[in-house]
Amino acid sequence: MKPIRDLNAFANIRMAGNSKLMPFKPRIAVGMGTCGSGNGAEGVYHAFADAIDRRGLDIQLARVGCFGFCGEEPLVNIWIPGRPLVILHRVQSNHVDQILDELAMGNIPTELALCKIEEWDHLTAPIKYGTGYGSLPNWNEIPFFRGQKKIVLRNCGLISPDDIEEYFAVGGYRSLYQVLIDNTPDQVIEQIKAAKLRGRGGAGFATGQKWEFLRRSHSDRKYIICNADEGDPGAYMNRNEIESDPHSLLEGMLIGGFVMGATQGIIYIRAEYPLAVHRLNLAVDQAKQYGLLGEDILGRGFNFNLELVEGAGAFVCGEETALISSLEGRSGRPRPRPPFPAHKGLWGYPTNINNVETWYNIAPIVAKGAAWFTETGSAKSSGTKVFSLVGKVKNTGLVEMPLGTPLRTFVYDVGEGGSDGRAVKSVQTGGPSGGCIPQEMFDTPVDYETLGKLGSIMGSGGMVVMDDDNCMVDVARYFIEFTHSESCGKCIPCRVGLDKSLRILNQLVHGKAKEEDLNDLDELSRMIRDTSLCGLGQSAPNPVLTTMRHFRHEFEDHIRAHRCRAGVCQDLALSPCENSCPLHMNIPRFLQLYKEGRFEEAFESVFMDNPLPASTGRVCQHPCDDRCRRKAIDESVNMREVHRVIADSILMSDRFEEMANRIAAKRQPPTGKKVAVAGAGPTGLTTAFYLSLLGHDVTVFDSHEAAGGMLRYALPEYRLPKAVLDREIEIIRRVGVRFVFNTRVGEEVSLNDLEAQFDSVFLSIGTWKEAWVYLPGTELKGVAPALLFLEAVDKGQAPALGRRVVVIGGGNAAIDSARTALRLGSAVTIIYRRERKDMPAIKEEIEAAEQEGAHFVYLATPHRIVGENGAVKAIEVAKTRLGEFDSSGRRRPITTEEIQSFKCDSVILAVGEAVDRDFCRASGLAIKENGTLEVNRYTLETSRSKFYAGGDLITGASNVSNAMGYGKKAARFIDQRLVGAARFYELFPTFEYDRTLPEQPTEIRRHHPHSRPAAERVKGFQEAVLALSPDEAHEEACRCLRCDIRESGAFAPDLVEVQ
Amino acid sequence: MQTLASEPASKVEKVDQDFIDRVIAGQNGRPGALLSILEKVQDHHPKKYLPEETLEYIAARADIPLSQVYSVVTFYALFNQEPQGRNTICICRGTACHTRGSRNLLERLMVDLGLDGSHEESADKIAASTPDGKYTVRTVACFGQCALAPVVEVNHSIFGHMNEQALHREVEALAKERASQ
Repeated sequence: MKPIRDLNAFANIRMAGNSKLMPFKPRIAVGMGTCGSGNGAEGVYHAFADAIDRRGLDIQLARVGCFGFCGEEPLVNIWIPGRPLVILHRVQSNHVDQILDELAMGNIPTELALCKIEEWDHLTAPIKYGTGYGSLPNWNEIPFFRGQKKIVLRNCGLISPDDIEEYFAVGGYRSLYQVLIDNTPDQVIEQIKAAKLRGRGGAGFATGQKWEFLRRSHSDRKYIICNADEGDPGAYMNRNEIESDPHSLLEGMLIGGFVMGATQGIIYIRAEYPLAVHRLNLAVDQAKQYGLLGEDILGRGFNFNLELVEGAGAFVCGEETALISSLEGRSGRPRPRPPFPAHKGLWGYPTNINNVETWYNIAPIVAKGAAWFTETGSAKSSGTKVFSLVGKVKNTGLVEMPLGTPLRTFVYDVGEGGSDGRAVKSVQTGGPSGGCIPQEMFDTPVDYETLGKLGSIMGSGGMVVMDDDNCMVDVARYFIEFTHSESCGKCIPCRVGLDKSLRILNQLVHGKAKEEDLNDLDELSRMIRDTSLCGLGQSAPNPVLTTMRHFRHEFEDHIRAHRCRAGVCQDLALSPCENSCPLHMNIPRFLQLYKEGRFEEAFESVFMDNPLPASTGRVCQHPCDDRCRRKAIDESVNMREVHRVIADSILMSDRFEEMANRIAAKRQPPTGKKVAVAGAGPTGLTTAFYLSLLGHDVTVFDSHEAAGGMLRYALPEYRLPKAVLDREIEIIRRVGVRFVFNTRVGEEVSLNDLEAQFDSVFLSIGTWKEAWVYLPGTELKGVAPALLFLEAVDKGQAPALGRRVVVIGGGNAAIDSARTALRLGSAVTIIYRRERKDMPAIKEEIEAAEQEGAHFVYLATPHRIVGENGAVKAIEVAKTRLGEFDSSGRRRPITTEEIQSFKCDSVILAVGEAVDRDFCRASGLAIKENGTLEVNRYTLETSRSKFYAGGDLITGASNVSNAMGYGKKAARFIDQRLVGAARFYELFPTFEYDRTLPEQPTEIRRHHPHSRPAAERVKGFQEAVLALSPDEAHEEACRCLRCDIRESGAFAPDLVEVQ
Repeated sequence: MQTLASEPASKVEKVDQDFIDRVIAGQNGRPGALLSILEKVQDHHPKKYLPEETLEYIAARADIPLSQVYSVVTFYALFNQEPQGRNTICICRGTACHTRGSRNLLERLMVDLGLDGSHEESADKIAASTPDGKYTVRTVACFGQCALAPVVEVNHSIFGHMNEQALHREVEALAKERASQ
């Protein structure tokens, strides 16, 4: 290859490139960035090569970089002349034949097609691919790319990074040529200044100004350096940019070298990026061959050499003075500035250092002008920034957005919300130098200034999404651990301060920290920030400061309650299942006891942890299922069903008497203290059980004629046979709890009365107020709220529903009402305003209702109920569409004008339950805005001395195990107050059982309980779901991986110690 | 090049001395070449590390104070002062991998290979080898493969979306490969 020395030669290369990029035959290009390769792109490429060869096809096969949607790799582009370029996603080797078959017929494989590109503006030149494929969305019409503006990534994934000629084809090196021909360096710098381009490495210093410094410094030797030491964990845009489009970097540096008067350039790149190093080396070699590096570049008399230096794995070398020190062959320790590198840099000569992405913006600015560049972005921050959107988000990849785009757009529009539909908790920006921004602040525009105000930084562009499974204390510790180990050790604040910070954070995650540690940590962080020598130390405390600012309650939970809600801090939990259980049941223990055939002890273990084990064994929302680590192997252990078997095997057998007495015998000597409990639902029953065991004299008041609350009156018999519940309550009665029924606290007996007669009062009256939708027609005969309906059925007073019933709602009460109505012989339609996956009801219940013939209408909300002669005749519903995400991580339904009518005889409204605001207001206790009682979240004390509250009354409608969790907690603190000592955990028996780790997990799959056939069960109220057989339950218990046994061989702390 | 006559005989093997001499000569006395020299020499060593006598030899031949050589070798994570195992398993500890459970992967791997798990308090950077020289477990700050998190590199092949079970299988596969050789 002869070096290019004139325009003619330049144009020829461009044409040669064009014929490769857009040949007169189909072209298949496989995305082969590291992310593509990690997903199997190598295999795909070779499969294409083999098949094309085997079939003797005239198809051009190319390797390109990544188009940005890394989570959908391997991406493959296919192009037929005259048609749009089509991007296929998740392509595997076994798709190759099918793709080639389709291509042979001039078609595209529709099910693999992600989007199409009809024309593309490479900014240095436009490319028109063609038109067609009507139904396929354009690239910027699919959520991940919508709103993206590709300036930096203009060529990524479209041209071959290994072929300089393809870069020429899209207008590459034209900007350089123009600059060399014009020979007006000052004007170029003015242009960069006018474009308001700022350093993309994170600090955001004005690039034009930086260039001017170097241009003005007089020296016979100047250096320009590209900082490609992308060390921020969670950020990888520079890797992708270099792997996909290395020549844009070279062109930017060549322009920079010319206008700043430097003849030597260095790219300092991470050794951890072997592919990027390889492609960059190749690009440099090609550039030399084509006369773009070396002497007399493009025949314009400009000399420039470029050298690649691989970093050796030190984060601090991202700091410019440390980087220079590393280039000089020393350990990478920063030095104070001034002198700035522009005056005294590498080997003492003037030096300019810019980040990879900054260099990528140069050629487009030269080509299109400063005014064009400032059209994008915010007032102070022009242009775009590439972010790596990763972590707990549905769509992951590289996202190039205009600066100033709200964080919400990244997470919810581009990212389409949390992974697995979970609610997003926060986003971490800026890596170890940045901070965590909570969900409430997602309206924040992403630019240098605004993120700075929130205590974070934009940094190099890492954006790690986190959900409720992520503990913010752990995140803070993680980053300090990182900066601590990466600190170069030169200055004391960073070296010693981060060490001290890490010690405190270690104490926190182990549950050993004290309240004052938070202040120390805060003070220490500020000191490190204000006094460290370089950017590493100055920004290292940001992750701690922001998490403490925005997630202080999590730090307090670790200190005050020794709890890590996310379940990340292992020392604060026995096992992930125990941590997720609101009652903190020792699940591995009862599984192991059952496995060992020690059924009575298993029962004792279960009942002492949870006094309604048979009921919860049937109706609990089983959060443990979600956390079970067995999920990584096959499916989670069916813990709920095993504890149902354990409970039933005693409660419903002739061993009941013996076991009931064994538990009752655990009652402590009388304390002489009297406790009143308002409400005999699961919360009140739990508190009463434990307080009575602790020797207090407990009286439970309830407005109903029997105990059980929602379990008795809202849960239909087919889900929870009342005979089972009665047995559990019988044991609670035997430990000494007294009940006063048909007595409403607040009416028949006042709070003042209770205060006068009792030493302590626990309020747990739940949420019995039916939420009501205000729409025309609710006054008609045949409209009923779900709870009243279910209660009436339970009492044998089922109303006449008529032939057709419509149920409004998507929670458990809606499904219970629907299935109950089916059993009463009606046809049932359930109307829900969102989609099926958004329904809060238990999944198995929704499936059961479907099997039993309930008809579901999604995305509809009631508009009005139509009556005739005062009775329901039909319901009109408005269709909804889904709008923005709300804090629950679901899309908000928006009512449309489209109305649909359903004929019906009854309407059951199951749109939620609420606390009795009248009761709360009349109580004189402090209440929150939503009407629930305000309590100390650690002790459950209300604003009135002696009064405690728990369950739905403080949380709003929740579920049985949550409610019972509060009951258990309240018992502990009420007892502590009454006797002045922490003795709650003395109640709990200890068991000796096998504590060795199972060598290999059993291969048995999860056992699902059997349901009676839908056609049969819908005929009556007999229990629908049958218990596991003893053998199945035993196998299920054997599936436990025993997370309670720590890997070092030590046994996890028992709950007693933990709390 | 200066004569070695006055210097004590190096413990470095003659063939290795020749290699190091060539590497140093290849840098043409370029200032700042120390990192590149060390990288090449380490890569040349079958156990991918830099024994003390090698450092002494490099210092003498490249005319760089041994203190500077030592400072560089201990500063950068890339340089090993201990022999590396025949198989290297590298766990990414980047933020995305961390939020998707890479710590559990690391802990499980250490247990699987019988390596000491008592690193917890201090250690972000880990490079530990089994006594039989079969395996080295390392961590890396970030592979830049965040979309595939959690990521593990086994003998230079990247595996995305890892879980404990899959990693366990990879390690078992390595053991079998070795056994069959």
